[in-house]
Amino acid sequence: MKTSNFDAQITAIVFDAEGAVFALGDGSVRFEDGAFSAAHDGAILCAVVHPSGNGVVTGGDDGRLIWHRRADAGVLATSARGQWIDAVDASAESGLIAFSAGKTLSVIDAKDAGFRRDFQHERTVSGVAFEPKGRRIATSTYGGAALWFARIAEQKPTFLKWAGSHTAVTFSPDGAFVVTAMQDAQLHGWRLKDQKNMRMGGYPSKVRAMSFLSNGQLLATAGASGAVLWPFVGANGPMGREATEIGYDEGSLVALVASQPRHGLLAAGLTDGRVWLADPAGQGLNFLKADKGSPITALAMSADAKRVAWADEDGNAGVSTL
Amino acid sequence: MTDKIPVTVLTGYLGAGKTTLLNRILTEDHGKRYAVIVNEFGEIGIDNDLVVGADEDVFEMNNGCVCCTVRGDLIRVVAGLMKRQRPGKPAFDAIIVETTGLADPGPVAQTFFVDEDVKAKTQLDSVTALVDAKHVMARLDDSKEAREQVAFADRIILNKTDLVTEAELVEVERRLRKLNPLAPITRAERANVPLDQVLGLGGFDLGRILDINPEFANPAHGEAGHVHDEHCDHDHHDHDHDHNHADHGHDHGHSHGARGHAHEDDIKGISLSLDRPMDGAKFTAWLDRLLGEQGQNILRAKGIINVAGEDRRLVFQAVHMILEGDLQREWGDKERRWSRAVFIGRDLDEAALKAGFEACAA
Repeated sequence: MKTSNFDAQITAIVFDAEGAVFALGDGSVRFEDGAFSAAHDGAILCAVVHPSGNGVVTGGDDGRLIWHRRADAGVLATSARGQWIDAVDASAESGLIAFSAGKTLSVIDAKDAGFRRDFQHERTVSGVAFEPKGRRIATSTYGGAALWFARIAEQKPTFLKWAGSHTAVTFSPDGAFVVTAMQDAQLHGWRLKDQKNMRMGGYPSKVRAMSFLSNGQLLATAGASGAVLWPFVGANGPMGREATEIGYDEGSLVALVASQPRHGLLAAGLTDGRVWLADPAGQGLNFLKADKGSPITALAMSADAKRVAWADEDGNAGVSTL
Repeated sequence: MTDKIPVTVLTGYLGAGKTTLLNRILTEDHGKRYAVIVNEFGEIGIDNDLVVGADEDVFEMNNGCVCCTVRGDLIRVVAGLMKRQRPGKPAFDAIIVETTGLADPGPVAQTFFVDEDVKAKTQLDSVTALVDAKHVMARLDDSKEAREQVAFADRIILNKTDLVTEAELVEVERRLRKLNPLAPITRAERANVPLDQVLGLGGFDLGRILDINPEFANPAHGEAGHVHDEHCDHDHHDHDHDHNHADHGHDHGHSHGARGHAHEDDIKGISLSLDRPMDGAKFTAWLDRLLGEQGQNILRAKGIINVAGEDRRLVFQAVHMILEGDLQREWGDKERRWSRAVFIGRDLDEAALKAGFEACAA
């Protein structure tokens, strides 16, 4: 494992085609190979791999969306009135980038600088996720999730209603389900074809991360003493089925999880600073970081599931090759 | 781990002087780093990179409990501000949350008790209400929010005192004190209040609830219902109190709308005290039930209780239904061991509260 220490908080980690990229609370981006980009004036709030696979797109509290590459960085878009850019997602399939600032979801095209769509919500948008083909976008907001067509200028979104404050959103890899995390320590899901609701509760803490793995057959989440796994097999998803929990440890909570939809491995970062890797189909946990420390605040797995990167609240970071 | 960042909530309507005060907090030479969260569509126009806009996004959590009405924008903005934190150092020395004159301070305060992420990183220090001496009376008459903001505060800054007469000030202070007997009132001109009277007050810190003076709830001298007792801080001989007050002040309970000056506000502070020790279990059960049933109407409560058979003081504070209580320091040898509590709320039944409180005697 390769470790490093930063003098600012690591707010997000992503793997681009070449390696791990760390986005920091001081507005800079540090590439694993030492390259450095200090483009934001303020903290980086969110980050995603650029649709090209080269470099990272970050949203900041300076209201700017910036594409950082190892030798170059440039502003892709800005928010109205410099509002914080809270959430970002990108689609390699469609080449689009979606980000939210306040109540607005904006969509830009990585290959067409003239393209931009702005979609308004009634309440603040907390999360943004492309469906697997990159043509639709789900946003989480108060009272549910909104579904937008990424390219259509004038439209009314499909609103998936569920009372409460939704704080993050993800699409299942087959595009059949949308799942949100909620303020009240639970998940909520919808099957899109009939908007059937799925309540997924029982968490002792807010769920800060959710990630699909095993060809979309499992949704792993943080927010409990172990990593919680919801089965998404068949047309009914987790409806009427029980979740399982792996790596249960009474003394800590799983703060973050990371996985890749096409692979079966799951990484978890704990509130006590440990990081483990597991194959839910197999046995046992492989501790990538067995030493306890400050809580894990960022975690990522590379697209080929061969590398895992983590960071803790004290600015320590590590990259393991599996 | 680093210490939690103290958060001060600054309430007040348009023109009360919040912009002036916030500008002072941001620009005075104090060597501190403050972040200010302001209403995005409000009137505060300060150009500073540590000023963040938020949009008063109030929501109820799914359990339907009124105490879980929180401000989603604060959860989001506080989480974002924490990303500026550097290892081993707090991100800011303090965070100041500005609210508009229309904001309900309850959800603002509750956010800091209910949301686990916010609670982990920050600690609500106090709520300060800024009021304008010249216009506050009219505001209190016509605005429920103005009355609630005053009633909710840990400290009231009575600003623009140079624009009114002393007699008017006394009248204003009398009314503010009835609405909120717990909060000290600081007079100011052009918001020239020392910053240590706004920041670092520890209004929600049980360890700093050292004394509660029931006489604050006692109407001021010369006022209907004023009681002279040992707390009266004056010489009985050199004042001429007006005890001829049958024509006003006792006209309770006939109206629940806006109040004229001579009438009672719908919100008031009720002060209770008891010299006999209390039964700890009985008191706790009574307080739990009271907050459960009337917590929506109880904005703030604080108390120091003398529990029978316990050498330490039981101290509590509540915001609506959120109650915090703990045994604090021991009673001093020469200290008067007595229980006292103040409840500030809307349409509270003073006689019932008093009876319930006293029934907890051991």
